[in-house]
Amino acid sequence: MYYVAKVNADMCAEYKCNTCTLYCPEANTLMFDKSGNTSWVDVDRCKGCALCVYVCTDMLNRDCITMEMPNVEAV
Amino acid sequence: MSLKYITPAERFKKYLPKDYVELVDYGPFGKTQEEAGPGNMGQFKELVEEHPMCSGCWMAYYIRLIFASLPNPEDTVTLGTAGCGRLAISQAAVPFIYGNYGDQNAMASGLTRAFRLRFPDKTKDVITIAGDGGTMDIGFSMTMHSWIRGEKFTTIMLDNEVYGNTGGQSSGMSPKGAVLKMAPKGKDFGKMPATELARAAGCVYTVRMSPTNIKKAAKIIRRAIFVAREVGPTFIHAYTSCNIEYSIPTHEVFADAKAQEKDRFTFEEYMTDEAKEVIERVEAEEKAARMARKAQKTEAVN
Ligand SMILES: Cc1ncc(C[n+]2csc(CCOP(=O)(O)OP(=O)(O)O)c2C)c(N)n1
Ligand code: SF4
Ligand code: SF4
Ligand code: SF4
Ligand SMILES: [Mg+2]
Repeated sequence: MYYVAKVNADMCAEYKCNTCTLYCPEANTLMFDKSGNTSWVDVDRCKGCALCVYVCTDMLNRDCITMEMPNVEAV
Repeated sequence: MSLKYITPAERFKKYLPKDYVELVDYGPFGKTQEEAGPGNMGQFKELVEEHPMCSGCWMAYYIRLIFASLPNPEDTVTLGTAGCGRLAISQAAVPFIYGNYGDQNAMASGLTRAFRLRFPDKTKDVITIAGDGGTMDIGFSMTMHSWIRGEKFTTIMLDNEVYGNTGGQSSGMSPKGAVLKMAPKGKDFGKMPATELARAAGCVYTVRMSPTNIKKAAKIIRRAIFVAREVGPTFIHAYTSCNIEYSIPTHEVFADAKAQEKDRFTFEEYMTDEAKEVIERVEAEEKAARMARKAQKTEAVN
């Protein structure tokens, strides 16, 4: 596996923002849950580019997304 | 295609692939742009499915935006050619036609005419989406002649300034001096003046841009489609970087697109008077419809 995006839901929920989800190059991957006001990542689809980190950290100064190794079970 | 055509019988749903059912239940078909458009991507099932384009590819991002902006996805056909973009365009829930290299605008000419004969009462949108090599090099004559003939469809050029799919040959759209894997001495002439050529050949609406502003980029895509329906050929020349061949670290791809906005891809929009009339009319109609829906919503709440 490789590093994929992970959203800190508690931090993200404070902003009601939905910006990173607009700029992910992959469709149906970085999603926004309107009821919880937080974005979330479908790890099976994330390609690990960190463009969303650029949006959240460099553009918006919020640091809610980190790149992490997902827990995958051997099959 | 129509909405009815893709909607399965309720009892049959459980046998269909999950992605298909999600598309029917949560996709953009039959919905407004406020319900399922570029402004709320990530909150509905998008037309583009998983595809093999590279991690962080800005071209993949722009393709996602094109499909979210379509005014009429259930009655749209896209055409493309060999190159990176078709890897994602062909994975969208919109009919896609793929022919010989560079013939997308020739095929689109015939298709547009056939649609108008076969479905005179229906609006069918035809859009060609191809790379800089496919549009301005190998498909050049067919691109130019479709414009010269005044064919009424939209051409979108995904300009990554290189042949990305075949490993880094320079194209007519690579900038002067670009050192690429298969242009090791640097390209010795400058970018072709794509939008100028389009205007000379008769395009009635042309835009050159780096699509960093989602709202603006979506508006341009829709304008190009609306004008092509009524007036004549339209052309969008968009910067869609290749992070692989230009060695751009993926998390800096957006920053690079912003830098290009001030460099080779400064915003340029041209429209004829006739095109302007269509844009003003359609955008006023859309605004009125939006206001009416809003008023209806507030009434329902009260
Ligand atoms: C007739 C023909 N010649 C050559 C090719 C090989 N080929 C595939 S993609 C491509 C160039 C792609 O460049 P571009 O259109 O800029 O698209 P990109 O991959 O950069 O998005 C070429 C030459 C082909 N498929 N068919
Ligand atoms: S950009 Fe940051 S704050 Fe905004 S939705 Fe994404 S993770 Fe949350
Ligand atoms: S790392 Fe890239 S692919 Fe993954 S969620 Fe972020 S922007 Fe999307
Ligand atoms: S080779 Fe370049 S243009 Fe093609 S998918 Fe990869 S990053 Fe995108
Ligand atoms: Mg190219």
